[in-house]
Formats: sequence, C-alpha cells, structure tokens
Amino acid sequence: MIANEETLRHLMVKAQGGDKQCYSSLLMESEKWLRRYYARKINPAAIDDLVQETLISLHRKRASYDPTKAFLPWLAAIGRYRWIDSLRKIYRHDHDELYEEMVADPQEESVTAKVSLERLLGMIPEKQADVIAMVKIEGLSIAEAAEQTGQSESLVKVNIHRGLKKMSALIESE
Amino acid sequence: MSEVANSLIDGLVDDLKPVKALRPSMGLAVTALLSVATMTAVATLMGVRSDLAMGMADEMFFLRSGILLMLGFATAFTVMNMARPGVGQLSRGWVWALAAASLFPITAGIMSIINTPPVEALRPSQGVECLTVSILSALAIGSGMTTWLRQGAPTSPERAGWLVGIASGALGAAAYNIFCPFNDIYYIGLWFTLPVIISAGLGRLAVPKLIRW
Repeated sequence: MIANEETLRHLMVKAQGGDKQCYSSLLMESEKWLRRYYARKINPAAIDDLVQETLISLHRKRASYDPTKAFLPWLAAIGRYRWIDSLRKIYRHDHDELYEEMVADPQEESVTAKVSLERLLGMIPEKQADVIAMVKIEGLSIAEAAEQTGQSESLVKVNIHRGLKKMSALIESE
Repeated sequence: MSEVANSLIDGLVDDLKPVKALRPSMGLAVTALLSVATMTAVATLMGVRSDLAMGMADEMFFLRSGILLMLGFATAFTVMNMARPGVGQLSRGWVWALAAASLFPITAGIMSIINTPPVEALRPSQGVECLTVSILSALAIGSGMTTWLRQGAPTSPERAGWLVGIASGALGAAAYNIFCPFNDIYYIGLWFTLPVIISAGLGRLAVPKLIRW
C-alpha cells in the first residue's frame, strides 16, 4: 500500500528542507507509485530504467515542487515527461516476458485516474494512439504495425511522431 | 524493490541538500527588471518620444503600451508557472491578452481593405529600425527568462518556447515604444506585430533545446 497524498506532501516538504529520513521514505513510496503508474504503459523490460530515471529527475528538480500543492500531480507530471521522453527513444524491443499486473490502491484511484497515462493516450486521435501502443509499448516493428492497422509505413512513423508531440503538449493541460 | 533501486535511493538520499522551493514571482521579477533595463537603455540611447517627454502623450501611446505590457506579463506569468509542473495546472490567461493585442493588426488590416494606405504610412525605414530595436530588447529579456526557467522543470518545452518568445517580443516592443513617435494604426499594426511574431518563432526554435531536462 502506498502512503496517502497528505503524507507524501508532508514528506516532500521535509525533503526540500534537507530531512534525509523523510526523503528516503518519500523515494521508496515514489518508487512503488511509479512502478504501478508505468505498468503496461511501457515495455516491461524498460520499467526499471524508467522508474530510476524518474527518481533522478525528482531529485534534480525537487525545488520545482510547490509545497502548497498536492504531491502526486507533480510526480505524475514529471513521470509523464520522462515516459514520453523514453517512448521517443525506444524503437523496438523483443521482450515478451510476463509481468504481474499491479492492483490499484482504492484510496488512490481518483488521483491515478486523473493523471493516468492511459487517459493521455485516449486524448490523441485513435490512429496515433494505436500505433504508439503497438510500436512503443508492445514492441512491434513499424512494418508489423503498418500491416495490422492498414496504414502505410511512413504514415505509421508520422502518426507516432505527431501523437508523441501532441501528448507532450498535453502534459500540463489535462 | 530491486537492489539497484535501493542503492540509487541511498545515493540520492546521501546527496540531499536543502533547497528553496522555486517561486514564479522571482521569474516575473527578473522579467520586470530586464524590461525596465531595456526601456532605460532605449530612453538613454535613442531618447523618449517628444509628446511623452512633454507629459502630453497621445492616447494611442497609452493603448499600445498597455496592450504590449499586458500581453508580455500575462504570458510571462504563464511561462514562469510552467517551471513548477503539475497535472492540470496550465493557465490560459495569456490567450485573452493575445486576442486583445491582435486587435491592432486586425484593425490595420480592415482599414487597409477599406482605404489602401500610402506606402509612406508604413514608413519602411523607421519600421525596420523599430523591428531591430524591439528584437534586440526581446533577446535580452528572453535570455533572462530562459535562464530562470532552466532552474525549473517545464514539461512542455515547445509550448514554453513559444510563450517565452511572445512575452519577450511584446516586452521588447514595449521598450522601443517609449521612443517610437508614430501613432497611426497602419504603422502599429505592422511594425509592433512583427517583433512579437518573429520573437515567438525564435523562442520556439531556440528555447526548447535550452530548457530540456
């Protein structure tokens, strides 16, 4: 179970003040939250790296947290930014390991729904979301995605590029 | 939790030092200071328009200054808040300021259709000077804004680039406006709009690379 929003906010405020014990707890809770946040939104083999990169970003940019605001929307904005960045870098992965689905914590459902990556994918045109999911998340090749969707290969590439760009612009609007 | 994650967390905790939370008001203060500095530079190096120096400025001067300053600061407010990310926090006040500012070029366009202006009304040589000084002022203001923004974590670098360009373009034009003696709508519609558009384009091209993290 992940700590609630108020506890996380309190830990982050203390961490900005230099409290190492609070920071350690906050990073552990954030690690758990991010792992669940990214589940099924990126190739399972890439989750570890992405979670770690996001924690490093949290550390480097900790001054950008507004102590009067909730913590999770801030972490989610950083998480989305790193996620889109990593989708841009991924071309093809051939991993088909199984991974366990993380079960959502009921108390966090409202926040998770608001900041979810799925929602972000749902806000771009379907053709773009489909090919991003196929190529960047499931690891299909451009040719395979083209065959499955009936789009030409160059259209698949254009749709991935446009979709990622649109999602990147949506991070703060939604 | 994996060992790698554990050792990463230990490393980050070891590295922890107290930080002061970023305040967008500081970014706005930097923007305001640079705007005053460029206005002072224009007034010192080029002079102040004569009616303003006599304390009897034309009403068009007040309209133009007000619109440019509103556009500049409303946009700067949005972009400085982008330094602190958060889901669902985007402020859109700048859009209204931009819509109000576009009344100048729109009016000039409509008036040109009704009554084609003579080329003299556009004053090409003074216009180019207006454009050059406005863009140079915008570069100074935009550089300061970008430097401040780099401390933060803007999650939409392209949008931040456009907004830094629009804000600094409007404030750069407001600096030149202190000197510019012309009041007709054709001149303002063209030569005070171009710096904002060009600066927005420059911001979009240059700023995202500088603020990515």
